Amino acid sequence: MRALFLLIVLVFCIENSAQNNAIGSAEKLVFSASYNMSGVLTDLAEVTMETSNVKTSKATLLRLKITAATYSKWDNFFKIRDLYESYVNPSNLVPYLYKRDINEGGYTKTMKYTFDPKTNTVKSVQTRRNGPEENKNLTIQANTKDIVSALYNLRLIDYNSMAVGSKKTVTILFDRKEFKGQLTYLGKETITTAIGKKECYKLAIGSSQTNVLQGTNSNFLWFTADANKIPVYGKFKIPVGTGELKIKSVSGLKN
Amino acid sequence: MKQVCIILGFTAAIITTIFAILPISNLAIFPAIAAFIFGLLAFYLSKKAGQVKKIIQFTFLLTIISLSVSIYKAIFIKVEVADTEELIIKEDESKQEAIDELETLDLEDIDIE
Repeated sequence: MRALFLLIVLVFCIENSAQNNAIGSAEKLVFSASYNMSGVLTDLAEVTMETSNVKTSKATLLRLKITAATYSKWDNFFKIRDLYESYVNPSNLVPYLYKRDINEGGYTKTMKYTFDPKTNTVKSVQTRRNGPEENKNLTIQANTKDIVSALYNLRLIDYNSMAVGSKKTVTILFDRKEFKGQLTYLGKETITTAIGKKECYKLAIGSSQTNVLQGTNSNFLWFTADANKIPVYGKFKIPVGTGELKIKSVSGLKN
Repeated sequence: MKQVCIILGFTAAIITTIFAILPISNLAIFPAIAAFIFGLLAFYLSKKAGQVKKIIQFTFLLTIISLSVSIYKAIFIKVEVADTEELIIKEDESKQEAIDELETLDLEDIDIE
């Protein structure tokens, strides 16, 4: 699931923090992750992307939450219950706090990043099952984002102004390491989804620094070509067959 | 040749059965096709030789039963997420911890709505 996550996100760029005009504070997107072998689909897990407001005494932040849970038929073999969260500035999605709590087939791990945007530093705390707490301070680049806010930041890009074939890169902090992802805009395409026929922006994603993504143009994402730019379909190359992420339901959209 | 086809067909039938039982039952179609092809080949060669072994019939039977199980699972078993209580509790706890953590951060200088 971690790899799938990377596959989904592994990308993007956002050299300047764009204004958030696509993501509302009560949005819920539900996806089905499946494995496709020669057209035969096997459902693996349900992925949910949800947003909500979080109030502190000083400010109201946007909570971006992604959960992944295997379907019950898999639970006896390899149960996954993952939680990824990012607490961001609602106007430009700059992250302040990132939390990850995964349970994959009994393997558990938690990770917390506390971002300091003024000094470009991150305080990280990692715990593993039966392991000690590991604290580490990291220095990051100015535009580095955690994986959740990076995925949401993809929706702030103005694809209409991008020429077909143009690329963007982004730096993501994952497992306390920075890596660069690359996004290529491939133009518009109309696809049929569970929420209807949608005109979409088609994007190819890849990375030069990780072997999670195979090839340069083997992993694709489709975002609706409207003001919400919601991800509706993802296709990822894996050693045998392909992984797919399909939208199941949508609610609470901003526009 | 006949022996090879019998062995391959029977092995494919066994794999079909295993796939049909596991959550990857949809993928049982692939070994089932192989089992049918090798089974038919073995049947043809055996008939030519004048003696059809019982194992060939058993290969077909096993494959048909396994495929039936797969089709039943694909049509009637609902795909759903269960046992999410732990995850919901984890989400709530994590949110509360995050709020406590965010209270300690210096957010006053940042332009947040």
